[in-house]
Amino acid sequence: MGKDKKYFLDEKPEKLTYGGVFRRINDWARARSLWVVAYGTGCGSIELRPTFTSRFDAERLGMRMVATPRQADVLIISGYLTVKTLKRVIRVYEQMQSPKYVVALGACPINGGMYYDSYNAINRLDLYLPVDVWITGCMPRPEAILAGFKRLQELIDSGRADGWKKYIDNLDRYRENQKKIIKNWKMPNYNW
Amino acid sequence: MEVLNRLREKFEITGDKVQRDDLALVETTGKDLIPVLVYLKTYEGFKTLVMISCVDWMEKGKFQLSYNLWNPEKKKNIIVKIFLDRENPVFQTIYKIWPQAEVYEREIHEMFGVNFEGNPTQDEELILEDWEEIPPMRRDFNTLRYSMEKFGEREPKSGIIIRKQISEQYDEWRRK
Amino acid sequence: MSKEEVRLFIGPQHPGVTGNMSVEVLLRGDTITWARTHIGYLHRGFEKLMERKIFIKSFPLVCRICVPEPDTNEENFARGLEELAGIEIPERAKWIRTLVLELSRLQMFIMWYGGIAGSMGLSTPVQWGIGDRDYILDLFEELTGGRIYHIYIMPGGVRKDLPEGFEERVLKVMDMVERRLPEYDEIIMENAVVQKRLKGLAKIPKEWVDEMGLTGPVARACGFPYDVRKDHPYEAYPHLDFDVITEDGCDAWSMLLVRRREIDLSIDLIRQIIEKMPRGEFLAPLPNVLYWKIPPGETYVKSESTRGEYGFYVVTDGSDKPRRVHVNGPSFVHGITLLERLLVGQNIADVAPIMVSLQTCPPEMER
Repeated sequence: MGKDKKYFLDEKPEKLTYGGVFRRINDWARARSLWVVAYGTGCGSIELRPTFTSRFDAERLGMRMVATPRQADVLIISGYLTVKTLKRVIRVYEQMQSPKYVVALGACPINGGMYYDSYNAINRLDLYLPVDVWITGCMPRPEAILAGFKRLQELIDSGRADGWKKYIDNLDRYRENQKKIIKNWKMPNYNW
Repeated sequence: MEVLNRLREKFEITGDKVQRDDLALVETTGKDLIPVLVYLKTYEGFKTLVMISCVDWMEKGKFQLSYNLWNPEKKKNIIVKIFLDRENPVFQTIYKIWPQAEVYEREIHEMFGVNFEGNPTQDEELILEDWEEIPPMRRDFNTLRYSMEKFGEREPKSGIIIRKQISEQYDEWRRK
Repeated sequence: MSKEEVRLFIGPQHPGVTGNMSVEVLLRGDTITWARTHIGYLHRGFEKLMERKIFIKSFPLVCRICVPEPDTNEENFARGLEELAGIEIPERAKWIRTLVLELSRLQMFIMWYGGIAGSMGLSTPVQWGIGDRDYILDLFEELTGGRIYHIYIMPGGVRKDLPEGFEERVLKVMDMVERRLPEYDEIIMENAVVQKRLKGLAKIPKEWVDEMGLTGPVARACGFPYDVRKDHPYEAYPHLDFDVITEDGCDAWSMLLVRRREIDLSIDLIRQIIEKMPRGEFLAPLPNVLYWKIPPGETYVKSESTRGEYGFYVVTDGSDKPRRVHVNGPSFVHGITLLERLLVGQNIADVAPIMVSLQTCPPEMER
């Protein structure tokens, strides 16, 4: 890992274009196999465990946890995001392959929740990442999470979950917002 | 607790209080703190350092450092505290007495800006990353204002307007 | 770092670490030669936020400090405020609090029991552990209205009395959990892989316990009978009959045995509590909590969580807000000072079992 290696996107990637019946088939298939990157960014990850194990069993809906972002379709922002985590989350998000979807869990990514006055937790997630589905609650129950995923599946199936396209189109604007709170874009040498 | 009498005989103790049967508070001077800690560890059986904490007394211009020790045999806690000048808070490290003190001091250095001379890792970032303001746990750091300036409004302008309309409608409805 | 060594970063986005934290290690072959814990990914500044909120408004915040086991925080903070304000709480409230604490310990232990197996690649106990924990979460939901965050314990007692017939339902769940445990034992304890990997893993030198301030199951696995419930009895624990569990192996296997026996102990304690619980008031009369001022003072209260001694250092200055609240979780020492020293010389594949054995909980390290 060289010192000037690029950790983040610096130009717009090529947008994937496909249409017609292939798009329809792709969307149908994608909606039925959502792989979630296993990154518990906040306290919401405690309710993801029941969701993905025996009692609520999200695997029957085609969802499972995967370890690496390169295989994943969905990034769950589980609860509040601190500035330090936001940097990692952006990096994880940019490593994921399109099409990719973001689900925001809990009240904190919406408007800061109970950490609205905290110096280290962001207030609004949609300034920094495009969000496809919001699930409210603190914490959202597993039923609510499943309902949110159901909604995400509907959106994907009908071709309306296009947050990743928005991110590519408005990369400059998102990057400007991100740069407001992340001053140093070099990853520290203890993780990259 | 009897240990307080012995401490009073040997060291300069500026105040003490028995808070509970198993918890005593002792106040001493910065000069005597390390002898007190070593004495408590070697002779009185307070072998374990539970925590180091810092309190900001901004009005008095002081930082309070509290060293919390535990005696595993007699099951007693003792909190030894000292006051530092707030303008130039410097103190010695005690990580050679207890290894875990290193991380506690590193956290206090980051959160309050107290300097611990001789601590090898205190300048490494522990919790915050690229922090540019005054240390955040100081009383004069306004976290709400910082949050508003850095992270923006909690909701978009349209949301505030809608909320205002709703509350006005609600007020009207209540007046009826 | 020499040329033969490789720097490896475990976390924060890694399924093996216990939450959102990261460990940086240097590797020589498969062996770790140096380790450093990095935290701060979950730092929300609780202690700062509590300084600008009145006492009662801090309670929704305080339970979020440790996510899997929130009740210890509430109970500690409430007990600290009661001590400083000089409030005596009714006898029944103490017993209900003890019941809630034990239930929350039990659910955490059951999840942990599955988790330690999961860290070694056995995924069946993970499913069982989290599934069986849900029965206890259902009890919590009935009692407090929330599955994870309860905000049930408040200064002066508890928010509501037990619902009718709650005791029987608790006992029923206890019977169910007890019936399930032999199956767990069969799949975890008698598993050759678990035995081979955990026996002798992460051996802690005995002198580290007092020197570093190790507590809870980690200290008890080294043969030190440190248990806050026995040493500094709080709430209803003085009236309960139990022995401190110790093992003498100092390794991850002993920690597993200690926690396994703690499950039995928790079930036994819950039965004792329900049997001995007195009737009466559950909330002491409080002043108007919106204008509640507590005289100046400072105290340190502690209780036994699943990970060890959990302490709250509360300083008040006579106003309606706390001057300083310092939360001292056991993971702060276990996860940084101990883990950094313990990983040296271990195999890279054993990082996850060691972290789960120490039960490091990042949100309580950085608050």
